[in-house]
Amino acid sequence: MSAVKKSVVVERLRKAQIVEFLSKEKRLDGRGLLDFRPIKIETGIIEKANGSARVRIGNTQVIAGVKIEIGEPFPDTPEMGLLVVNVEVLPLSSAYAEPGPPDEEAIELARVVDRGIRESKMVDLSKLVLIPGKKVHAIFVDVDILDTDGNLFDAASYATVASIATSTMPKFSVGQNGQIKQEDEAVPLQINCIPVSITLAKIDGEFIVDPTSEEEGVMDARITLTFDDDGNIRAGQKGQPGTLDFNQVKLAVNIAKDRAKEIREIIKESIKDAKG
Amino acid sequence: MTISRKYVTPGELIVEGDYKPINNVIRVDDKFYATKIGLAEIGRGGIRVIPLSGPYIPRVDDLVIGKIVDYSAFSWEVDINSCFFAYLPAQSVFGRDFSPDRESLLKKFSIGDLIYAKVVAYDRTRDPLLSISGPNLGRIPKGEIVKINSAKIPRLIGKKGSMIKTIESATHCKLIIGQNGIILIIGPHDGILLATQAIRMVESEAHLASLTKKVQNLLSESKEV
Amino acid sequence: MIELIDEKGLRRDGRRVDEIRPLKIEVGVLKNADGSSYIEFGKNKIVVAVYGPKEVHPKHLALPDRSILRCRYHMAPFSTDTRKHPQPSRREIEISKVISEALEPALILEDYPRTVINVYLEVLQADGGSRCAGITASTVALADAGIPMRDMVVACAVGKISGQVVLDLNDTEDKEGEADMPVAIMPNLNQTTLLQLDGILTPEEFEKGFEMAVNACRHIYEVQRKALIDKYFGKNEVGEE
Repeated sequence: MSAVKKSVVVERLRKAQIVEFLSKEKRLDGRGLLDFRPIKIETGIIEKANGSARVRIGNTQVIAGVKIEIGEPFPDTPEMGLLVVNVEVLPLSSAYAEPGPPDEEAIELARVVDRGIRESKMVDLSKLVLIPGKKVHAIFVDVDILDTDGNLFDAASYATVASIATSTMPKFSVGQNGQIKQEDEAVPLQINCIPVSITLAKIDGEFIVDPTSEEEGVMDARITLTFDDDGNIRAGQKGQPGTLDFNQVKLAVNIAKDRAKEIREIIKESIKDAKG
Repeated sequence: MTISRKYVTPGELIVEGDYKPINNVIRVDDKFYATKIGLAEIGRGGIRVIPLSGPYIPRVDDLVIGKIVDYSAFSWEVDINSCFFAYLPAQSVFGRDFSPDRESLLKKFSIGDLIYAKVVAYDRTRDPLLSISGPNLGRIPKGEIVKINSAKIPRLIGKKGSMIKTIESATHCKLIIGQNGIILIIGPHDGILLATQAIRMVESEAHLASLTKKVQNLLSESKEV
Repeated sequence: MIELIDEKGLRRDGRRVDEIRPLKIEVGVLKNADGSSYIEFGKNKIVVAVYGPKEVHPKHLALPDRSILRCRYHMAPFSTDTRKHPQPSRREIEISKVISEALEPALILEDYPRTVINVYLEVLQADGGSRCAGITASTVALADAGIPMRDMVVACAVGKISGQVVLDLNDTEDKEGEADMPVAIMPNLNQTTLLQLDGILTPEEFEKGFEMAVNACRHIYEVQRKALIDKYFGKNEVGEE
């Protein structure tokens, strides 16, 4: 089997149409170049998780679940809790996804999502220490990709953010002998900001946001930028073999910055519901 | 005797008695059970279930729309929306004296090209074989494609082609139907959008008796706008 | 030992001994899959996707006379009380095999020689009886994909808690109880396709429990059917032409 079939082969006719439409500032599904598809975020869907969220962007569907446990800190950061974001591109999600260990694209996806959350300091890890150097809170965010129609980077990121933001944390007490006891009480997990990831695809020299699978199949380059509440850029990743000229890099930042503000409001709305 | 029809789910008892099973039914003693979701027909000829879902199974002489996904020195591999990839041998395109030294397959079709082709061979033991010799067959140069479940193609065509004619005349578009569930629409932009809507309606409401009327309403309403 | 049945004969979640947990089935929940379904059964939340029949890779694994059925039961890391490692465990691999063998007798695999049908189950939240819920949901997804079948497959467990035979154990009852017996049947052809048992049952309890499971399966089958009918024939008009 050749590598070709592992990804979407977009009909050449479709590619020509996509490019033709872009030249008229339109897209095949009727969107403008900088429009997202409808975003739907539901939180609190998995009762056994400390926090959870299902995000749908068009036909893309992902679920994130948070588990907060007791772990041991990394030796180089003895006074920091742990935050691990993991993304699984499940074989359910498309005819091209295979069961088994994640391929390099899935690993890039997981790492880019993780970086955006980590670097924006959404969670203050220094407040998650129980016994310095020995016991800390470990926050695991696992994202299941259920249905793929492009823009997994943003969908996985929004699900991660919404699930963390709606998490409650079991309260632990440390006894004199160093024994850790879980209390019945649970407290909301404190967050410092709402990081928002925006992914742009470049097709035939034009930027679009929120690409579908088909658009990703014909894109030349991709750039993902994550912003904090103050509009600072906290993480970035350019992907795919195509290039961006210097002005395009600046343009991408400007486009993404504005979109991020709007998406942040959508995420805030969804987590507000969860907190009552 | 009239034909009686009913909607069935897999495993459902359709009827008891002395009948001939035609397709998508199994017989256990005198009982006939459906094997797929669909419309069961009990008629003089026997019992069958017209399915509403399921993969496209190629039949010889079917006209299909396929996508070139790969090629080797001697043939193209074509995605025809079925269990198997189909093969289009270079000889059937370049002629019998085809030689991979002289001719490059990519000159004719490249990956991502759409073709309108005929299934010339297929059975349980071999992958479908395509040919593009025939009127209108070959590379599709333009148009919009829409994919639906192949089980619903007969409904889209309608009795003696009535449904397809209704859509074509209301949208000023030409529809080319692949038996494999892929439809090509050629025409003005607004017409393409309307035709796509009509096809989607056929797909989602194929089971309704009033389908023809609903599609007609959709088409005429849009005209007034 | 925790008392699992109170003096009124009710279980800790308020059910009678012969009552199943709340059940909900949806069809066609994923866009990319050839067939899909979603089930909530008690606290179980499982999504199932079917892909195929399609070509087998590598090709030498293909069978000349029939399709291969492959099932993958996988639990999301957040589906359990303590986080589960994403890598499939031995338990998940065994359950995958058991589910596959429970479904296979119902499928007419001879219709698609040289192909594979993949059934992927993702457990988003696990409760007792997730394999039964998974089997019930998988059949619906296979029907949605149009895979021909002799009959649907439907599953439910019985068990024994506090000395009584009860239907459909939840997580606590499964852990604390004396026996758990998952059963899958083909409801129209009256065949058993799955039977597992761990714990202790007298032959009389076994017989009683088996009867209870079969009756529950017949009820669950109606829910499966309704989910398919709602999706394919709509809730209102079921007409003829």
